[in-house]
Amino acid sequence: MSLMVRRQIPILIVFVTALIIMADYFLQLPPIDAVTKKSWTSSLVTDIQNWGIVLAAFALGFGAVNLSYLHTRHISRRTKGQWPFSIWLLLIIIIFAVTGIRYGATSSTYSWLYNSSYFALSATVYSSLGFYMTSGIYRALRARNLESMLLLIVGAIAIMRNAPAIAVAAPIVINMEAWISAIPTTSAQRGIMIGAALGAIALGIRTMIGRETGFLGRLTEAEKGG
Amino acid sequence: MLVTGRIFALGMLAVLWIFIIGGMELAKKKLPTFRRLPGLDALPEMMGRATEMNRPVHFTTGLGSLTESVAPQLVAGLAVLGYASEMAAKYGVKIIYSVYAAQVMPIATELMRDAYIRAGKIEEFNAEDQIRYLSGEQFAYASAVQGIAERERPAANIMIGPFYAESMLFSETFFRIGAIQLAGTARGYQIPFFAVVCDYLLIAEEIYAAGAYLSKDPLQAGSIRGQDLGKIVALILMFVGVVIYAFGSNALIDLLKM
Repeated sequence: MSLMVRRQIPILIVFVTALIIMADYFLQLPPIDAVTKKSWTSSLVTDIQNWGIVLAAFALGFGAVNLSYLHTRHISRRTKGQWPFSIWLLLIIIIFAVTGIRYGATSSTYSWLYNSSYFALSATVYSSLGFYMTSGIYRALRARNLESMLLLIVGAIAIMRNAPAIAVAAPIVINMEAWISAIPTTSAQRGIMIGAALGAIALGIRTMIGRETGFLGRLTEAEKGG
Repeated sequence: MLVTGRIFALGMLAVLWIFIIGGMELAKKKLPTFRRLPGLDALPEMMGRATEMNRPVHFTTGLGSLTESVAPQLVAGLAVLGYASEMAAKYGVKIIYSVYAAQVMPIATELMRDAYIRAGKIEEFNAEDQIRYLSGEQFAYASAVQGIAERERPAANIMIGPFYAESMLFSETFFRIGAIQLAGTARGYQIPFFAVVCDYLLIAEEIYAAGAYLSKDPLQAGSIRGQDLGKIVALILMFVGVVIYAFGSNALIDLLKM
């Protein structure tokens, strides 16, 4: 594949698309349609977003093919500790696909199937997070050095503030926790946010001008020259 | 013509653009120096460990898709994926990329194939086995990644991108199986979770600089200098804002609302 097809055309598409979206965000252009009151940039942005949705839908098919291929192979090879789950996964995909095609993805039948299987399981996995957090925090809250000592103190204050009996007995922890949340934590979070926002903008600019090609494959030695 | 309330933002964007282009031009004359990012420097150590243990390396870019506001984090993660794949190919280690958004699959396939070609090991690349679409649902994806961790016992786990509640599920599971971990995200609420469990951490802007840091491309490195100048401007604005507000002036607030 030529360099133009692999690199230059994708970069051009990114540049033009980003420019249109930025123009729509910053500029107020006269409407071209009396009914929708949309400017040409707004109409174009809507179209671009719709293309994105269509492409994502096609990609989902690609994902389903990958999933089916991988798990069919596990079944045929009887991969140890995996193949029974692969059968189960393919069975579930078929049940959901058939139900969705037969009754529609917004039907009560499909919703019942989804809510009583995935929704319940999802809530279960989410709930298990509490145990993972506990074990993680148990290891982290050890006074090994100054930083972990600070974490231990702050963590202890936050736990005491959220334990009703302690908060009632020693109301000072409420004020201490509020101060920690409002001043040092917020300051640090905002610093991180500003840095992250500037980093994202810089990455966007690099991508627009074709210097950030991580998503296209890394630069070759010849291309590094600028 | 310009949308009210976004004029200042446009001005700041223009200033940042100038800084970044300026930084790139300066970098052509003199390469800027980076402070070390231990997380990225540890990649060879992670690959070496995987080679010694004869186990794979697991990579995830979290729950990002290319059509959401977190897309830059995903792009940043993909840049590291390309580098890590090339290194894994050189070390002869299998790298498994768990995909959340199916739209990323063709990009990842191209990226990893390129990496294997560059390493001269294209015959070892197996897209179907190494790039795995798991699910587009958060906890189904999380469970599938945990399944990979438990069944295939990767020696290293790299997580760079947008992460949500699953961050702790991933980091704890991989910790339990003894994997060395590098995590990076710009999602503030997940940073502490990664910080307490993972061996190496990239905080927010560091993930965006990862591509430039790893590629050693002078122009990309120059853009980081421009970004840092933007940070200085933001700090000056904050300082000036606090001072003039303390003296009763709303000038900066009005300017920001322009």
